[in-house]
Amino acid sequence: MKPVLTPRSLFIALGLLLALALWLSLALGPVSLPLLDTLQAALRLLGAPLGGAELDQAELILGQIRLPRTLLGLAVGAVLALCGVAMQGLFRNPLADPGLVGVSSGAALGAAVAIVGGAALGGLPQVYAPYLLSLCAFAGGLGVTALVYRLGRRDGQTSVTTMLLAGIALNALAFACIGLFTYLADDATLRTLTFWNLGSLNGASYSRLWPLLLVTLAVALWLPRRAKALNALLLGESEARHLGFAVERLKRELVFCTALGVGAAVAAAGMIGFIGLVVPHLVRLLVGPDHRVLLPASALAGASLLLFADLIARLLLAPAELPIGIVTALLGAPFFLYLLLRGRT
Amino acid sequence: MRLAQILGGLAAVLLFPNQVLAAEPLPQRWVSAGGALSEWVVELGGEARLVGVDTTSLHPASLSRLPSIGYQRQLAAEGILSLQPQLLLGTEEMGPPPVLAQLKAAGVQVEVLPSTPDLSTLAANLQRIGTLLGEPQRASARFDAYREQLQRQADWLAQAQQPAPRVLLVVGHAGGSPLAAGRGTAGAWLVEQAGGRNLPEHEGYKTLSTEALLALDPEVLVIADRRLKGDAARDALLAQNPALAATTAARTGRLLTLDPTLLVGGLGPRVPDGLAAMSAAFYPARQPLTAEASPKP
Repeated sequence: MKPVLTPRSLFIALGLLLALALWLSLALGPVSLPLLDTLQAALRLLGAPLGGAELDQAELILGQIRLPRTLLGLAVGAVLALCGVAMQGLFRNPLADPGLVGVSSGAALGAAVAIVGGAALGGLPQVYAPYLLSLCAFAGGLGVTALVYRLGRRDGQTSVTTMLLAGIALNALAFACIGLFTYLADDATLRTLTFWNLGSLNGASYSRLWPLLLVTLAVALWLPRRAKALNALLLGESEARHLGFAVERLKRELVFCTALGVGAAVAAAGMIGFIGLVVPHLVRLLVGPDHRVLLPASALAGASLLLFADLIARLLLAPAELPIGIVTALLGAPFFLYLLLRGRT
Repeated sequence: MRLAQILGGLAAVLLFPNQVLAAEPLPQRWVSAGGALSEWVVELGGEARLVGVDTTSLHPASLSRLPSIGYQRQLAAEGILSLQPQLLLGTEEMGPPPVLAQLKAAGVQVEVLPSTPDLSTLAANLQRIGTLLGEPQRASARFDAYREQLQRQADWLAQAQQPAPRVLLVVGHAGGSPLAAGRGTAGAWLVEQAGGRNLPEHEGYKTLSTEALLALDPEVLVIADRRLKGDAARDALLAQNPALAATTAARTGRLLTLDPTLLVGGLGPRVPDGLAAMSAAFYPARQPLTAEASPKP
């Protein structure tokens, strides 16, 4: 397949797209702020001594609601897309997504335990409940992924095929356990669980944002260092080994990065599908499979796409809000089909 | 002179704290997240102040004209702020907590009221809503009437010299596989309060197998259908679940329908009437408690 764009023009385009997404995400919302107020409030957040009390509301909406939400979207979109690239590279299959190694189902199971178990225990103080949920989701994702990785190892070798199959089995097992919790849950708990499984950037706050931002930064800095190794892995495992890359270590790092990145994203924003699957695919169609370009470009594209999806989620039904997972799947699935059908002709 | 004024003011505060508190400006734009609370606000004459309600506020039907702020546990801060509310009213189920914190920071008064289904909680809640509406007397009068109505119901039941009928309450959707109200549910609570014996032994709402339904063999079947009303709900349920037609309840025609919105959100204003109607159907031999509570066909 011949790339459509040169890496240079792609990065310029994606950079502009992300800048636009960031600006719209800060400027648009159910509360319509005049453009001038938004600008002044933004300057005031940066420390400029501007305006009077009439700007307080704008500053609050921008600083306490839209900015954390935008940063959350940025981090979640980027890290999901990066982990998608890592998984597609690891399994050498463009249909792979982070769910394959069990991180999503593990996180969902952790969340189900926290939501249903928390309700059964009479409920923790409301202030701690979200943290418990995030911690359980993160631990669940990491735990199931570690198990999948462990099952795929034999005699110091990691078999990707065994990992794939173990992932399928553990996903089924995790979903059966989630089903059991669903059965035990009462109506209100059930709705919380359902909404969590559809993801949302709603209610982002700085205190819950920092862990995810750090993880995203770590993944975004680490994975590109393995771009050459990932390129070699495209040729096959033994070929990559003969080219002098430490394939076993690479696999371990990829699985760990995915568990960490997706685990943190899911813990902060719930399950958001299709970004990890569609974005790397899309970028590959535009510039080809070179991971040195694919990784950073996917991060930019994933962040932009998630921010646009969130704009739809928060504006479409305002003052209520659509779970963002619905938007990403509604946009992602037809687009994916289009890619499949286009490739056929 | 000055002293007299001060003393007078002090006396007013001590004697009529509600009126003095009401002197501070009352919130005029309300958002309500919680079915029963919205119903009470309307009942106490505050409908004109509501500018938005959540998806559990289904009754009265006129509330559906208001902007929906979504599900009470998934509120969106900016969406609610766009309604420019001064007050957000909800139960402790309302959330997520970060959104409530954001709303408070934006100067919205967030009132979290407990939703425990008992009279003392209701008394406190009504008092609070009444104070916020500037109608404390109306609220306490309404509560007294409510308590009296429930008391009459309890007295009426105490005089019923018959064994409690065996009741099954099912929640269905257009007749599809029904969920039976087990222990600890609002449905079971209503059945017991109306003088019935709730049959299922499980916790929560669960689907029952055909055989389990037959084995329970209820004398009265209460149907709360989320989509159909009255005869339509009854016919749809029996058509979809032929096993039910073989129960004592169906053979003797003791099937009654219940408004499913009574089952959510704790003690709403319509609960006593609903209970009276149910009791009348449970004890058909006795004179119904009130005229409006006569068994509906």
